[in-house]
Amino acid sequence: MTTSSTEIENAMSNTAGCPFHARSLPSDGTPLAPSPRFAEWREQGAFVPLDFQDGHEGLVATRYDAVVSVLQDPRFSMLPARMPVGPATLDEPKSEGAAAAVPLELPGDLDEAAQASELLNLLTLDGAEHSKLRRAVTARFTVRQARSREPWIRDMIAGEVARIRGSKDVVDLWHDYAMPISARTHCHVIGIPPQKYEDFVELFVEPSTAQQKYDFIRALLEERRNDPGEDVITDLLNNPELTQIEIEGLLRLLMGAGRDSVAYLIATASVALLTHPEQMELLRSDVEGVRPAVEEFMRAGSMFVTLFARTATEDVEIEGTIIRAGTSVAVSPVAANRDPAHWGENPEQFDVTRDAFGHIGFGYGIHGCIGQQVARVEIREAITALLEGFPDISLVSAEQLEPHPFAHPVAVYEAGEVLVRLTTA
Amino acid sequence: MVVVVQRDACVGAGQCTLVAPDVFDQDDDGIVLLLEPEVEGALLEAANKAARLCPARAIAVSAQ
Repeated sequence: MTTSSTEIENAMSNTAGCPFHARSLPSDGTPLAPSPRFAEWREQGAFVPLDFQDGHEGLVATRYDAVVSVLQDPRFSMLPARMPVGPATLDEPKSEGAAAAVPLELPGDLDEAAQASELLNLLTLDGAEHSKLRRAVTARFTVRQARSREPWIRDMIAGEVARIRGSKDVVDLWHDYAMPISARTHCHVIGIPPQKYEDFVELFVEPSTAQQKYDFIRALLEERRNDPGEDVITDLLNNPELTQIEIEGLLRLLMGAGRDSVAYLIATASVALLTHPEQMELLRSDVEGVRPAVEEFMRAGSMFVTLFARTATEDVEIEGTIIRAGTSVAVSPVAANRDPAHWGENPEQFDVTRDAFGHIGFGYGIHGCIGQQVARVEIREAITALLEGFPDISLVSAEQLEPHPFAHPVAVYEAGEVLVRLTTA
Repeated sequence: MVVVVQRDACVGAGQCTLVAPDVFDQDDDGIVLLLEPEVEGALLEAANKAARLCPARAIAVSAQ
């Protein structure tokens, strides 16, 4: 069934001004068991009405084909950066990351150069300007580059495994395992020296001001100017087409983007396996299977309930729906990743043997995750090390098994505390 | 079947190199390189999958 433009217009005019019929993102879901509302919305149409925080009445794309169409269509812009109405979104983002990537308003007390950097955000740009900045950093995120990082990542993870093995009986897999693995890889690929790891965590994982972040970035650039390496910072410093303002803006984005989400994915994949022991045994008996299973972790455990909304710059017709110029469309990876029209029977089922390539867990289109090849290696190696290192691991409790407010205005699930017992002894 | 890539459109996501490494590679800047412009059988299947997955729609597989 395709929703006609008239139906959409009717639905939207019916909801106008009536708070009881306002459409907001549902709050009754968890990462591995999203709200049943998404299935209802998919049934209703490729696009259904959704209210945004600024009072705008827009749409949310719920079906796989509609999500893909919007994300690859240049007639949609990242601006204005509207956020959908969601359940009890927290006033302040808990940590840096996705939310900080799109500044809705510039943080106060930023010096002028930092304000200019802040405005050059890859996630708010379209077209040629976006393409120039994105291409400046693609070189370190190729499949080959990600493979070349494998030995380093494996060694680093072996160190983290040894650390949690020696620490205590019950550990928080998110805080004690996933987060350090993700943050250390981030530093390694970007080019933040190991002796600055603690400073990086303090500024970019814990709360801090935007000015503190820029000060860190500038000091780091000075330090690295005469100390080249195999990393993003070296590439940026050697790129004659980039201004200092562009370099600082790119680094501000890269230091936050993807770090929380890789840690989230490692934690959530662990919860998925620990709550599906037969799937865990399947992978333990054949760890080669973890490589393709990463795609299923991404599909079934997507962090993004909706991505940053796209706004139509002209009237666009998709799947029989006319989206008027100026209308914002939130796209839902969580809904698309469970669309039975794309995934066949049992899309709600977590199945590590499924061919889950094509999921929207890394987004899609020109703004799709640039670090996804490195992320795949991190998640694969972190899960493999857990399976091989802790044959008796068991789940004590996981916050993410109960519904929680979304972590950011952009509507992402939070990993939450994941307490596990590492041994039976 | 013939494979055509648009290097201008490529965003360097690397999906093609991941699912069809015998047909596609990435240059040092991450941009797509076409290794096999003519494909049949398993390579055709892989090239089609890459074309479907490409986030920039930079790959076309056609009869000519």
